[in-house]
Amino acid sequence: MATEYWILLFKVIFVFGVVAQPLASLCVWIERKGSALIQDRIGANRAGASIMYPNSIIPLGTLLASAPRLIQILAKILGILLYPLLWVAKWLGILGVINTLVCDAAKALFKEDFVPEGTSNFMHSLAPFMAAFPIMLAFAVIPIAPSFTVGGYQIMPMIADLNVGVLFIFAMASLAVYGVTVAAWVGNNKFSLFGGIRAIAQMISYELALGISLVTAIVLYDTMSLYQMVEAQSKSLFGFIPAWGVFLQFPAFLIFFIAGMAETKRAPFDLPESESELVAGYFTEYSGMKFLLFWLGEFTEIALLAALMTLIFFGGWHLPGLDAGLTWLSAQAGSGWLADGLAEQGWLRALVGHGVFMAKVSFFCLLQIVIRWTLPRFRYDQLMDLGWKMLLPISLVNLMITAGFVLAF
Amino acid sequence: MDILFLIMAALALVSGLGVVLFSQPLHSALSLVLNLVVLACLYASLGAHFLAVTQMIVYAGAIMVLVIFVILLLSIHGSEKRPIPKFLFPIAVAGAIGFLWMVVPLLQNSFNEVVPDAAKVGVMDGSVEAFGKVLFTDYVFPFEAASILIMAAIVGSVLLARRSTEGGK
Repeated sequence: MATEYWILLFKVIFVFGVVAQPLASLCVWIERKGSALIQDRIGANRAGASIMYPNSIIPLGTLLASAPRLIQILAKILGILLYPLLWVAKWLGILGVINTLVCDAAKALFKEDFVPEGTSNFMHSLAPFMAAFPIMLAFAVIPIAPSFTVGGYQIMPMIADLNVGVLFIFAMASLAVYGVTVAAWVGNNKFSLFGGIRAIAQMISYELALGISLVTAIVLYDTMSLYQMVEAQSKSLFGFIPAWGVFLQFPAFLIFFIAGMAETKRAPFDLPESESELVAGYFTEYSGMKFLLFWLGEFTEIALLAALMTLIFFGGWHLPGLDAGLTWLSAQAGSGWLADGLAEQGWLRALVGHGVFMAKVSFFCLLQIVIRWTLPRFRYDQLMDLGWKMLLPISLVNLMITAGFVLAF
Repeated sequence: MDILFLIMAALALVSGLGVVLFSQPLHSALSLVLNLVVLACLYASLGAHFLAVTQMIVYAGAIMVLVIFVILLLSIHGSEKRPIPKFLFPIAVAGAIGFLWMVVPLLQNSFNEVVPDAAKVGVMDGSVEAFGKVLFTDYVFPFEAASILIMAAIVGSVLLARRSTEGGK
């Protein structure tokens, strides 16, 4: 019994520590450095003191010229040992990783935590958590790799194996509205309020199209479990096209993608925080770590959306030919840990599948950020027209056609 | 008794009291959201996953969002406290006594049944398939009746709203 709990603990740590948060961090980094690339800037590159630079080791030797020989030798050995580390740190600094992931957080920790007059401190602190927490919780039902067997235990690759996984994510996404609402309320000014009202209106409008495109996927795969949805995409159509959702249901994918981007409230759908009109929209009155928590929630939502697109429409951990290739490799390896790992339910196969999954998710994170930095913001009536007059009718018609096909064949 | 159930029940009670006792409408509405989410957790602990998730989507995720949207839109700060009319006190007391008269015997007689003991009740098959089967066979009449009722309510509210905006036709 205890082993199950250890497995569960491991899963929780893995999903949040190795999948969700690193993906959010990756999004932050792409946002900072990728936007610089798009705008022909250099971007964040100055973090890291000069001690980080490997060449600063060399003056250390000359500085110690009069020191005893033993200390000189020790300094040299230390320099040789530290050189690769410093080299990595230098490149992390130049690539902006230290800047975006370490320095920004450290800076935010030391900023003044400003609470506007006339609002309760408790509600002010609660809002960012209410915005970020449901999104992170939604990762509990995301399967991240094919299931595998270790020491007689079959391990399902998600924290909670719900048979209503898709709906759970939908529920969590709809709970995330409250964070925005409370933030707008405690902001106690017009900008926050306008941002919050826009955010709620936008989120409930696009939730409809999002939900119906998900229902289309549910009808198509005949299941609500994300794991079974992925397994339903393992075959191929006509022998050469992978049977991924995007090939079976391109309209549903398009609607899901657009509505999902609207749910993350980022450009071209960033009216709730449109900085040219509303300062920063619903989180105008936030600073320091609370402000960062809103951003963390937003980037986690990007990662969540990318994971959902991968799982529902892009075959999850499946790649055409990958399964056959791994089986062939397993046969070549004969027997031993390598063959066992690569066989059906093997841990190596799960690891490869996880890699494929993460690569696809990273690609969709990148895609969303490129779209965010490429397209201009909608006008408000355009936003509502797109949601109610385009996406909703199209998704409804698409659902009916899909249901008809599923019934007929 | 399950410790999880106790925590959830306490949270449900506290948040339910919060709905009534908070003076700010937004705080009340958020308490109600917490209450609905906790109830959903109780359903989930009984194995009714689909019901729990539906509760979260429909009540916590849609209806309460609309309520809060209206609160934000009208900017209702419930700071001024209106005095409660005197004649309401006896009515309130009578209502409370009547409610207790209904509920207390029920709890006394079957407190063990009310407390969801997973071992005793047995974890339900809360899957979508089981839920759909029950809903569309045993309970198909209440289900359809409820849909007609909701439809009538929607049509009625549209009618009322129209009449008021056009100023008596």
